[in-house]
Amino acid sequence: MSEKPIQGEKRVFMTGNEVVAWAALAAKADIMYGYPITPQNEIMHYWTRMAPKFGRKFLQTEDELSAGFTTLGGVLSGRKAFTATAGPGNTLMQEPLSMAEMMRIPSVVVIQQRGGPSTATVIYSQQEVTMTTFGGNGEGFRIVYSTSTHQELFDYTIKAFNTAWKYRFPTFVLADGYQAKMRESLKIYDPEEKGVKLIQPEATIGKPAVNGVKEPVHVRNTYNTEEELFEVLTGYMEDYQKCAPEVTEYQEFDCDDADIVVVSHGVVARAAKVAVQELRQEGLKAGFFRPVTLRPFPADQLRSVADKTKTLLFVESAFGQMAKLAKESIFGSTVNVETLYKPGVGITSEEIVAKVKGVL
Amino acid sequence: MAKAVKIALAGEGGQGVQSVAQIIAEAANEEGREALYIPNFGVEQRGGVSVAFLQIGDEKIGSPKFQTADIVVALSDRAVRRTSQYVDGNTTFVYDSSIEGIENDIPRNAGRILAIPAVETSRSELHPRVFNIIIMGAVIKATNVVSEDQARAAIEKKLGYKFEQNPKLRELNFKAITRGMELVEKAQ
Repeated sequence: MSEKPIQGEKRVFMTGNEVVAWAALAAKADIMYGYPITPQNEIMHYWTRMAPKFGRKFLQTEDELSAGFTTLGGVLSGRKAFTATAGPGNTLMQEPLSMAEMMRIPSVVVIQQRGGPSTATVIYSQQEVTMTTFGGNGEGFRIVYSTSTHQELFDYTIKAFNTAWKYRFPTFVLADGYQAKMRESLKIYDPEEKGVKLIQPEATIGKPAVNGVKEPVHVRNTYNTEEELFEVLTGYMEDYQKCAPEVTEYQEFDCDDADIVVVSHGVVARAAKVAVQELRQEGLKAGFFRPVTLRPFPADQLRSVADKTKTLLFVESAFGQMAKLAKESIFGSTVNVETLYKPGVGITSEEIVAKVKGVL
Repeated sequence: MAKAVKIALAGEGGQGVQSVAQIIAEAANEEGREALYIPNFGVEQRGGVSVAFLQIGDEKIGSPKFQTADIVVALSDRAVRRTSQYVDGNTTFVYDSSIEGIENDIPRNAGRILAIPAVETSRSELHPRVFNIIIMGAVIKATNVVSEDQARAAIEKKLGYKFEQNPKLRELNFKAITRGMELVEKAQ
């Protein structure tokens, strides 16, 4: 038995990609399957550097389709497996992850969003929201955490494993190229020392015989009749809706008396937080709302904010992919909607402050 | 709430702006302050202008990039042209006095403009390989984001293994820090 990767709690200063590798180690991931793509590469680099010291494994596949499917294979054989990708790699990953939805295979995927469509930039965007929440041919039976800081990248990568294995829906940690490449401080720790129970993976197939009898296992992604499929998906939807309130996470402040509430997610929420604090200091009634889970979306929580404020300002580094999820959740509301969309480009607090002042 | 100090460092690949930004960020972190450093990165492997974005403050930093910097350091003609977008009336713009052909490109809207002979100093007094450490001294003097002692400690941490083999390198690097600070002091 190898020693624990992290003893106690320590303050570190590192890139987000390195944070993800540490978190996966701390969450007791057994193996990473992956294919290189910027800006996610260093997750693989750090993992391959550290994993052998703790008896963990890595397999580089020939592309992201393969990385996704081998991840699922690892999970079916009882390993805590994960993968990471970005941009066009995320596109390819939708095929295996769609199978994970159908077969209810717990899986963890870390996405470092880059510019799109296609190759676009290797730098940064929030343009993989639609694909990560509802990609593939299916119904979006997924859980998507959108992180904002390195601390969250660490916390939610650990959490994603438990969420995936508890509910058996594919779970995504959705970050971006800025979070991947920037360095800032955070505290890393051993989750079990903090009382976080890590769910043990269990093999679905290839189990040993019990009393000489080997039970057959049938995990299906093909159905013969429409009715058969309908019954299965109805059950999945019930499971999803049942777990949604437990899984949904969000943050808000200063919304109660706000004339305008800035709605943003991920790294952009950092700028929004600073902007709202500055606007409040100037006496302007601004509020802050941030979905932490983009899927399931904190619909009830945003609706109650929409009911008491005059304007929602959607701010994101995409042409309204988060806003699409938000608008659906407040359908019927008469709240005024404003937008600040900069696809593939970072957004600063100064821009948000200026936009709010222009609206008020 | 004191705002974070925003620094943009730009130069040609190999001038070492990224390692300077990283050492300063780590020095600030060691002092218990909040630092955020992000390099610009693109598809080019070499040949582009390298820009490092660095913010240091006492509270968690907001967005990783920024519109205008408190200090911009440009170390080549292309870097001067590239970084003038980060300059406003509150910016201190520092550039190397040996850069030619930029008379019309220097952002005159900057609050302060300082030309420092860092290239010349590294060549004639120290060694070209500590050029970026001179720049580090200059940044520290112009911003006070970390103490000289902490900067030395951070260099020791980063390059200590090389200093073990050749103790003269330590002296050279520490001298470069001090000279960088003096260059800014003189230019002010």
